[in-house]
Amino acid sequence: MPPKANSGKAKAPAIEETEILQAILLADSFDKRFEPLTVTTPRCLLPVCNVTLLEWTFECLAAAGVDKVFVVARSHTDQIDAAIKESSWSKEDSGMEISIVKVPRETICLGDAMRDIYNRKLITSDFLLVHGDLVSNVRVDEVVNAFKKRFEASKDNIMTMLLKESGPEHRTRPRGDSSIFVVDPVTSECVYYDSVPGLPVKTHASIPRTVFEKHFELEIRNDLIDCGIDVCAFEVMSLFEDNFDWEHIRKDFLHGVLSSDILMKNIHCHIISDGYAARVRDTKSYDAISKDILSRWTFPMVPDDNMPGPSGGYALTRNLTYLSLSSPPLLARTAEVGPLALLGPRASVAADAKVVRSVLGPRCTVGAGAVVSDSYLWEGVVVEAGAVVESSILGKGVVVKKGSMVERGCLVGDGVVLGPEASLAEFSRVSRRGLRAEVADDEDEDEDDDDAVDFEEMEAAQTEDMRRQVGMESNGIIWPTQGSPEDDEDDEDDEDEDEETSNTFSNLRLGRIGDPGSDLELSDSGSNSDSDAYDSDASTKRKRRTSTSSLSSFTISSSCLNPAVSAVEREFRLEAHATLVRAFSDGHRVADCAAELKTLRLATNAPWRAMHEVVVRTVADEVKVLPAESGAAAQSKEIARVVVRWGPLISTIAGSEPVDTISILQEHCARSARLGLFGQMLASFYQNDIVEDDDISAWHKLPASNPDATNEISENMRKCWTVGGKLLEHLEADSESEDEDEDSE
Amino acid sequence: MSAGPSSLKHVESLANRLRRRQVCGSRQAALETLFVLQKVVSEARFSHIEELLDLVKSIGARLVKAQPKEHSVGNTVRKALHHIREEYNTAAAQNSKTKGPPQTGFSISNFLLTGQPKKHSSHPKSPAVEKLPSVDRMDANSEDFAEGLKPLLMDAMQDIVDELETVYDNVSKTAKDHIHSDEIILTIGKSRTVEAFLKSAAHHRKFTVIVAESGPSYTGHDMARNLSAAGISTFLVPDSSLHAIMSRVNKVILGAHAILANGGMFAMTGSLLAATAARVHSTPVVVCAGQFKLTPLWNLYHEYGALDFTDPSRVLGFDEGKLLENVEVLNPYYDYVNPELVHVYITNDGDHPPSSVYRLIKETYDDEDHELQTR
Repeated sequence: MPPKANSGKAKAPAIEETEILQAILLADSFDKRFEPLTVTTPRCLLPVCNVTLLEWTFECLAAAGVDKVFVVARSHTDQIDAAIKESSWSKEDSGMEISIVKVPRETICLGDAMRDIYNRKLITSDFLLVHGDLVSNVRVDEVVNAFKKRFEASKDNIMTMLLKESGPEHRTRPRGDSSIFVVDPVTSECVYYDSVPGLPVKTHASIPRTVFEKHFELEIRNDLIDCGIDVCAFEVMSLFEDNFDWEHIRKDFLHGVLSSDILMKNIHCHIISDGYAARVRDTKSYDAISKDILSRWTFPMVPDDNMPGPSGGYALTRNLTYLSLSSPPLLARTAEVGPLALLGPRASVAADAKVVRSVLGPRCTVGAGAVVSDSYLWEGVVVEAGAVVESSILGKGVVVKKGSMVERGCLVGDGVVLGPEASLAEFSRVSRRGLRAEVADDEDEDEDDDDAVDFEEMEAAQTEDMRRQVGMESNGIIWPTQGSPEDDEDDEDDEDEDEETSNTFSNLRLGRIGDPGSDLELSDSGSNSDSDAYDSDASTKRKRRTSTSSLSSFTISSSCLNPAVSAVEREFRLEAHATLVRAFSDGHRVADCAAELKTLRLATNAPWRAMHEVVVRTVADEVKVLPAESGAAAQSKEIARVVVRWGPLISTIAGSEPVDTISILQEHCARSARLGLFGQMLASFYQNDIVEDDDISAWHKLPASNPDATNEISENMRKCWTVGGKLLEHLEADSESEDEDEDSE
Repeated sequence: MSAGPSSLKHVESLANRLRRRQVCGSRQAALETLFVLQKVVSEARFSHIEELLDLVKSIGARLVKAQPKEHSVGNTVRKALHHIREEYNTAAAQNSKTKGPPQTGFSISNFLLTGQPKKHSSHPKSPAVEKLPSVDRMDANSEDFAEGLKPLLMDAMQDIVDELETVYDNVSKTAKDHIHSDEIILTIGKSRTVEAFLKSAAHHRKFTVIVAESGPSYTGHDMARNLSAAGISTFLVPDSSLHAIMSRVNKVILGAHAILANGGMFAMTGSLLAATAARVHSTPVVVCAGQFKLTPLWNLYHEYGALDFTDPSRVLGFDEGKLLENVEVLNPYYDYVNPELVHVYITNDGDHPPSSVYRLIKETYDDEDHELQTR
């Protein structure tokens, strides 16, 4: 411990002299996963454990020592502005200067927002890029320092990403949207990135070969949670400006920078195993993060300790139940609360009611005998006697009347009244009637927004069944199911976060609250095997975590790269064939032709076998099939012409594999019109010393030469084999009797 | 009364760091608090001592509210208040003596008493308050008086800092009287006070230390390493074997996080286990702690959350994944140890049985400061 004088001197300048750290906070997520809850409230103001997401994110930034925050907001800017002004962060002594940047509504992705900020020239130095839905207790300042050190070492180290290690099945790990990071463990440089959508199943990742050449040791990891915290150099901004088609920080920017040959920029990963960081990406992660907070993973950011925002404090009681301290909740003696419950100020739970794994907002009331489990009740929700709410999120002021049933996965918008005796189906989305008018009032610019939900159409589409579901006295309207085809299409247009493939309904389902993965297998018969495949596939990928030497990583690459290699090989075959045809017609010398082929093979890195095949086949094709009436002699003369002229090429190319030559010839003849010529050609090969009698007997013994299958090709193969067998007999009997060989055909 | 802007900034910065647990450990927190208080006092403008006391108290309340579980912060503030009053009384006594005759009988004789253990506790209020001369008497030269007082106050603060800096040495002064040759000592986890105590005893005696590794933090590993580096014969044992080896142990020496007025204490997890096992074998339990850990509160253990439940990652890793959804993991950082289980507290202010901790607290702090937050 340094004596006081020292600590005094060390600390005082530290406060004044530190370089100003700026942060960009993206308050808009550019997607609609929380609708209808986000119709009237921006995503970043949704409460997580009764504190807005914005507060959680600010606390994380403040702990990292950020001095200046730019909040990038697209929709509901007035509300965000007001929320920031109200919060304690706008106070003089908060140590953070917050300004809101309103971007136009045409901004539909992160890239657009970055370009907008760049053009406003707000950012002057290195900055921290975070999303407005972050909950984290990670010491981000350490990442910032690590970044600064790297940036000092080389100006090309333009970004450091914060990644969190997690188990394969962790609830906070997004199932529908994970990533593969290829990282050099020594320098922690990220050398390759690929996103892994939940569905359709991804079984291959193409990792460029060059990556393995440059790095001695690599880790291929699929077990990382992307916290969405990036420390960026100023240059990141200009890169976004230069590449105007980049939309996402990962899929476009990261991928673009890593795969570019000209940029020569490096991006690093900071992988943490301690601490907690996660993003509220969808309702499922909302659920997971809320529970993580209540189970104290975010310590010290827990309700009874360093809870951000104006919470007024909570007291921790048994069973991980938190009760508001400022105005204690009213609990009936027989009420059963917890485990894992958070009761806001003036909440009340009546007799025999049950609140499990749930969060009750301020002034929530749970009536006698009601059951609330795995649910999130925001401010002022009333659950009347006997109602049941399961795995759902109920917006501000929702009233669930007597005897109603809210099944798992429901999202109920602000101010909806359900029941009495309502019975919402699973995963319903309900909003209030007449919301359209209010939204239009609140935000004029919304009116011409074509991706806004068409409330009138939806109200018109309400069926009798839907009305029964929400109950007779209800003011709610049920939204069309997410799975309906036109909705899917809609989403593809709107959600910029994902590519079309990753945006199918099944994928969205992976992010829904109360929707376990097993559900997919149960209800979607088609995707049963897919889900399984996804699981096993993901686990094998995870197993590949072990670091590999450059040699064994090469094997990984070639096995992973099958599709890519076959494309290359196909190209080689076409090219080689063309070369040979040209050589035949122009009468090139054998040596020239062989050199040309070998160069081509090296250029495309095609296997020997491919070249061998091409040569034998092309040579065989060069033999013209003469009509039967021209006689066997003419045909054998034709064969001899080709083989004598081009046989040496085969010897040059495949000198060491004559058995393969015969196999290829056999297969080729079996597949083409030259079936009858096999014997003659083989004999001709023998005469020209391309193959020896030992090779023929070796070929004859190969099981592949005499296949059992019953299709046409196999039959032809067998015919060839028989012919070859006869040739062999002749050769063994009398090496002088080639003439008879030919006659025996 | 006002505090300088830069000192307020320091207060806010410390409050934030305490809240975010970027400052932790009782001694560290106490030193940081003192540093802030020194800033505040040196920059404060006050015309009367009550104003300064109010200011310090409000700052103390702010810091305590930021992190109620770091008791040494509040204790340090209380101690500072106590010292400020003391200095003021000395100065005022001298002042009134030079200006005129002593008005009431309380000035000098009572001042002499304040530095020493108070003889009677029947006094309903701390004598300090009553002794404060009335405002009107000081009016004429209050500014000068305040200015003149400042160096004295700063000295008083420096005294507390010095005390904190020498606390390990002073606690271990008597180590050789407590540890005898060839004894087997059991300790758990890592406490710097205990470490200093044992090392100091090792200069004079040869003894053996058994360190329990103290999961889930496993600070016992560090402790064992440090002790054996100092040439003490050390064994590291798992927590589960505590009870089994207790019969061979001559003495249990523990560290404390906070000592409460009832003689109980908060100490790191595992302390209760060790103390209870010691009880069964009638092994003496000795607690080494600096005086700044004395906390004038006694009913904290009623609060469920007082044990400071931290994140469960050390008990069950984040990568356990699926399992996490079905279990609730509790990871308390502290144990509350009843006064009945402790035999003696060794402080830098002498050795005390748990039953007399309340006296010690009464002497160290002024009664009216016990509740900083009510103001």
